[in-house]
Amino acid sequence: MSSLVKCPHCGLRPREEFTIRGEVPSPRPASDAPANAWFDHVYLRDNPRGEHREYWHHAGGCRRWLVLSRNTITHDISAVVDASTLKAGTKS
Amino acid sequence: MRDFLLHNVSPFPADETANGHGNMQIRALRDGFVFHLLGRSDTDTATVEKTIAAPIADLGGELRQLAPYQWFWVGNATLSQERVAEISAALPSMLALTDQTHGRVRLVVSGPQVRSVLAKGAMIDLADDVFAIGQSVMTQIGHIGAMITRTGDAEFEIMVLRSFAESLWHEIHQMAAEFN
Repeated sequence: MSSLVKCPHCGLRPREEFTIRGEVPSPRPASDAPANAWFDHVYLRDNPRGEHREYWHHAGGCRRWLVLSRNTITHDISAVVDASTLKAGTKS
Repeated sequence: MRDFLLHNVSPFPADETANGHGNMQIRALRDGFVFHLLGRSDTDTATVEKTIAAPIADLGGELRQLAPYQWFWVGNATLSQERVAEISAALPSMLALTDQTHGRVRLVVSGPQVRSVLAKGAMIDLADDVFAIGQSVMTQIGHIGAMITRTGDAEFEIMVLRSFAESLWHEIHQMAAEFN
């Protein structure tokens, strides 16, 4: 497994410096959305084979939240951005 | 300004030679100051350098970026709390200064084998041509979060939270033991 992550602020860092939160969830449903939509949003997580987007926290470095685009089969990381660069509404 | 006087006590062992080392020198920095500067999300290092140019010329020290919009201003001068309050009050509103002198402590490791010593704990590339003199990074030594700064050819300064100081002190002596 590739254990180096290229943090946009710190450069190449080992995986040990990061805490992985999990997938970037789909946008929050409307408050009056049906219960199953909320159940899906709160409890159900995808576990895809292939490309995946995840929140990673660089706890041992700059302490910023990052969004990684990672392939779950090869562990290739195609993109890493600071989570603050994601615009509201595009966090899907 | 604080209502009471803080009395800074170094967390490092008083007898530095207790764990005597020959080739590797491990030295605690007991004086100086550490300020944390927090800027707005449009602040860059050049702006901060310009903003604090006057006090930096006066007190010395250097800026070390630890994260976006966050810096440590680290120096060797001994400052009164009145002076700290003065510096803080003189800053424009885009920068917030917090005195961290009591909370973060520094030590210097030097010697020809310093990279081999630090490589046992730090997972970053410390090579001569990658990590230049004056450069600093926020990383980990083992599980201890530390800021490593290269201060010389074979000399590195390590800054950690005070509560980890004793543990790190012990660890670095262990790491250096084989080179003495």
